[in-house]
This record gives sequence, C-alpha cells and structure tokens, in this order.
Amino acid sequence: METTSEPPLDAKSDVTNQLVDFQWKLGMAVSSDTCRSLKYPYVAVMLKVADHSGQVKTKCFEMTIPQFQPQLLATSSLLSASNFYRQFKEIAAVIETV
Amino acid sequence: MAAGELEGGKTLSGLLNALAQDTFHGYPGITEELLRSQLYPEVAPEEFRPFLAKMRGILKSIASADMDFNQLEAFLTAQTKKQGGITSDQAAVISKFWKSHKTKIRESLMNQSRWNSGLRGLSWRVDGKSQSRHSAQIHTPVAIIELELGKYGQESEFLCLEFDEVKVNQILKTLSEVEESISTLISQPN
Repeated sequence: METTSEPPLDAKSDVTNQLVDFQWKLGMAVSSDTCRSLKYPYVAVMLKVADHSGQVKTKCFEMTIPQFQPQLLATSSLLSASNFYRQFKEIAAVIETV
Repeated sequence: MAAGELEGGKTLSGLLNALAQDTFHGYPGITEELLRSQLYPEVAPEEFRPFLAKMRGILKSIASADMDFNQLEAFLTAQTKKQGGITSDQAAVISKFWKSHKTKIRESLMNQSRWNSGLRGLSWRVDGKSQSRHSAQIHTPVAIIELELGKYGQESEFLCLEFDEVKVNQILKTLSEVEESISTLISQPN
C-alpha cells in the first residue's frame, strides 16, 4: 500500500467528515469456529464523524498490529502494512510545515 | 487405480493449493469434479470423493490448530499409521505445503473471523486552506485523510475525514496510548 505523501489524494468519497470522537480498544482474538487457535491481537476503532449538515455517524473498523505499526511485532510481514500510526506522524510533521 | 497410488508430489501439491483456495481464501467455483478431472482424471468419482475429504480434513485440522513444525510432524506421522490414512510420501508433500503456505492461510483465517470492517488502505494529503468552511480563519492548513474500509468478501467503503493541526496532534496522542497498550500486551508472557 502506498505510504508516500506526494501524490495528490483523489478522494473516492464525495463527502468530507469532521472527526467528533475516536475510541479504541485492544482486543485479542483467541478462537473461532473455523480456527481453534487464532491468537492474534487487534486494534478496534470506533469513530464518530459529522458531515456538513452536522449529522453524526459511527464507523467501526479493526486493524491488525502490523497494520497499526509493523515494528511492534517481530513476526510482522510488511505486505499488509498500512502503518496507521506512522502515517499520522507524517501528517503531523507535514501539517506543521505548511 | 487408487488415488493414493497415483501420486506425483506435484499433483497432490496442486490439490492442496486448490483446497486452500476454496476453504480459506474464498476462491469460488472449485468443485470436486473440477479437481478430479484436472488433477486425477483416471480416478473414479466414488474413489476421489473420500480422498478429497480426507485431504481437506487434514488441511483444516492443521490450520485450525495453527500447528508448529513439531506438532505437524507428530500429527502427520499419526496419520500415516492410521487405517485408511496417508502415505509417508503424501505426508511429506502436506508438510512442505503447510510450511510454505501457513502465513497466507493464517492471514485468511484472521480475515474471515473479523466481522467488523478491516482497514484496507489509508491515503492523505495536506492542504493549505486560504478560507475555512467552518470559521473565519484564513491560512489554516488541513489534512484530508481517506480511509478505505471493508468487510470480508465485500466492496470497500471510503471514509473521508478532515483534520486541522490541533486535531491531528490529539489523534497522535491517542495513537501513542494505543502503542503503549500494545507494547504492554506484547511484553507480557503468554
């Protein structure tokens, strides 16, 4: 997945939302009907977002630890690294200079 | 000729691959008849069916227990000793298959068990706004972030968010708390 800051973002969504709230939890998937030995930690995020009219929606999603920050787990494969945390750090660094 | 005798390691490998595509990676259209006619055309359907079921069962057991290599060897050895089990050649092929496909299969199992949306992508840019929609301030830089989210087997949904500098730093602080939590979890002995 691209992590560069240079290419212009061509947003696929028509509406830009404001973030109202960011909640998170760290979960551990232990077992399931298809896999008795899952054993993976994940970050669950609940976002509250408001559109231009002020209407608030809730969006939930999950990330694996490598998606959040690959360096935290020795066994991470870089193939699925969105690197959520690092990208926010980059955004902060860039926005400071604008 | 029995399916078990017809063995070329390559054929069984191909079968295991197709089974993994069907069972774990959700690839559609992999039928018993397709597999038989492509890989074991000389085997009768009534014979192929139990053979296929046996291989699928073995693969599912290995994946479900997330076997390490010791467990795998012990399990496969036991299978070779069973009545109607597998040959040691077949055990070797299965062992090789699991070692090279384990990570990918595990990732699919993780995706299948996630019933919420997963994060599929993140793109962003920073604009130097000369006029803000929401206040009279000018020259307010704004970050526009697009999250690509999606549930297993479904199309992506795109969520576009706008942040000013203050908000970005608030999020960053929250994310550092998440990181701390993860580090604590990982450093704890299981």
